[in-house]
Amino acid sequence: MTEPLREVTDADLDAIEIGAAILGTGGGGNPYIGKLRCREELKKGNRIPVIPLDELPDDALVVSLGGIGAPVVGVEKIEEGEECLRALRAVEREVGKPVDALISVEIGGANSMEPMLTAAQAGLPVVDGDGMGRAFPEMQMCTWSIYGHREAPAAMADEKGSIVVIRDTPDDIWLERIARSVVVTMGAAAGLATQPMRGDFVKRAAIPGTITQALNLGRAVLNAHQTNADPVQTVINQERGKLLMTAKIVDLERHLKGGFAVGHLALEGFGDFAGDTGKIDLQNEFLVFRRNGAVEVCTPDLVVVLDSDTGLPITTEMLRYGQRIAVLGLPAHALMRSPEALAVVGPAAFGYHDITFTPMETS
Amino acid sequence: MMEKIKEITRADMADVALGGAFLGTGGGGDPYIGKLMAEQAIDENGPVAVVDVDALDDDALIVPVAMMGAPTVMLEKLPRGDEAISALRSLEAVLGRKADAIFCIEAGGLNSTIPIAVAASARLPIVDGDGMGRAFPELQMVSMTMFDVHACPMAMADEKGNALVLNTVDNLSTEKFARVITVEMGGAGLIALYPMTGAQAKRAILRDSLSLITNIGRIITAEQTANRNPADRLAADLGGMRLFEGRVTDVDRRTEGGFARGQAIIEGLEAYQGRSLTLKFQNEFLLAEENGTPAAITPDLICLLDLETGQPITTEQMAYGYRVIVFGLPSDPKWRSEHGLELVGPKYFGYDIPYQPIEEINAKN
Repeated sequence: MTEPLREVTDADLDAIEIGAAILGTGGGGNPYIGKLRCREELKKGNRIPVIPLDELPDDALVVSLGGIGAPVVGVEKIEEGEECLRALRAVEREVGKPVDALISVEIGGANSMEPMLTAAQAGLPVVDGDGMGRAFPEMQMCTWSIYGHREAPAAMADEKGSIVVIRDTPDDIWLERIARSVVVTMGAAAGLATQPMRGDFVKRAAIPGTITQALNLGRAVLNAHQTNADPVQTVINQERGKLLMTAKIVDLERHLKGGFAVGHLALEGFGDFAGDTGKIDLQNEFLVFRRNGAVEVCTPDLVVVLDSDTGLPITTEMLRYGQRIAVLGLPAHALMRSPEALAVVGPAAFGYHDITFTPMETS
Repeated sequence: MMEKIKEITRADMADVALGGAFLGTGGGGDPYIGKLMAEQAIDENGPVAVVDVDALDDDALIVPVAMMGAPTVMLEKLPRGDEAISALRSLEAVLGRKADAIFCIEAGGLNSTIPIAVAASARLPIVDGDGMGRAFPELQMVSMTMFDVHACPMAMADEKGNALVLNTVDNLSTEKFARVITVEMGGAGLIALYPMTGAQAKRAILRDSLSLITNIGRIITAEQTANRNPADRLAADLGGMRLFEGRVTDVDRRTEGGFARGQAIIEGLEAYQGRSLTLKFQNEFLLAEENGTPAAITPDLICLLDLETGQPITTEQMAYGYRVIVFGLPSDPKWRSEHGLELVGPKYFGYDIPYQPIEEINAKN
């Protein structure tokens, strides 16, 4: 048994960036800017302490936070850096209590970095876990909401200094609707913090150990680069995943719709997969992989797109015609495959009423 | 000289709503729903005291409440009834103190009556004044903006139970956020905003607006009872003018971005035979033009009255065949300042013409 992760240091950030981007399944935003912001904080002497999930006190108050918006915008509209901190402070004011720890709402993509950045700024620890184990496009698609936590009151902050507190909503879908329209007004990117959760709930509902998971995954890829090992195979081994296809992107359709990046990419297999065609649908994240027209892997299991040579992840906004990619399937955590979870993050929740989720290991 | 009112009773509400509809300049929503709510609240809690702003302590907390959204929606999506109070309570919670008086953000339209309902329910007095002296479509378009009173913190509530608090960098961005949220709420929501101290209000509000609308309502009622069209006496008493008379022959109206936008064409009757007037609106009537030449320009008031009864007609009621009087009224001088025109002048609404006071334009004719 190895010693659990207690602190994230400068040396860990590059690896977490890679691991988080892989778990982002194309979405969740690019963690690069957040990494640089974290590095700045660490250089100032601030620290990012980590609490292992099982050591979290039952009565600790934990706030889940992250950026909300369209990843394609996040690349161009660079965050000011304290959006999530202002959202956190607004939630603390709203509930009238100080918060004990932060946790990521989604480990995939930029939101892996946001809680660490805010932790360094606020002098708080981050919990080793998250609410998705990957990335998803909507706020209610996290285990907090799925397993009974109400997100309101929640607070949103933009880079200009505006703050919107959503004090109450009839349900979390209303919160998502209102937050989504607010974020469009904020310029399609904002920081969001939701109602504090108790430690005992977080221990039950969080996908455990995902900062460690992202760190180890990124380290494995970096190590493969140094040792000239196959980085794609390294990712597969590390995550008990499956190589679905090596392919070239032959068509790409992607547009912004209601604050989301939506579209699909068409693939033509090469290598062992020559003769196969593939198609991946996306809504911020890659959601469904089809081979020759038949669904093979679908949400909540992870459809991951890597550069076939470097094993580095390609986010949806970086996709280009002609790229040579490796498509991987990674199994979702059991908390994301329960009937309650599938109602919120299964294929039907994204409008695929004709697709029944089958765990990728059995399909 | 206009009589100042000291309280609003159930019996006054008809005149308040009528005067509010007149100053609504076609917008601000039909005051009818608010009138019913106010009558009910007055029945339950007694009349509402109307106070002069100078009678308030400098540190008194004054909170405007209003309904925000598209008037076309407000006609169909009725409030549940307690949203405005919950917005008020929400704002009080953020401020950590109770309101001492309610205020009316716009004396025109639905928002002339909603705050009276809230004041009665909360058993608070209402200040004699408003932030517009009429109705305008956006929430930063109030005299308070000219005097650096911040719209935030602002509370919003809807009939479904959504509740929000906004803290934005300026009043224009408050409008932008609140607007998308009202659209998400289904096109209308109740708001409490521009919390002010008595000292701020003494500087920043337009005075005596509730007295004004009550008096306008009384004039219209009295003239109607005497079988006269109220336009002439309104012109004499308010310093306004008849701009046009005719029949509505075309209405182009869209609900767009949370607003009722469009234009209406009025073909002249009687003395105006052979002429045609175009009225452009964005919730309110903003520009009256004859052959491309302006006859009245925002912020001056353009009111549409029924040709027979003198009853004010709102943009959402306006229909083909209505016989109407187009009535013009000079705006409050505060609106004619440089800052005022930046907020509510023709350029802001996308009309590429310079502002000219209505008295000057129509003196030339």
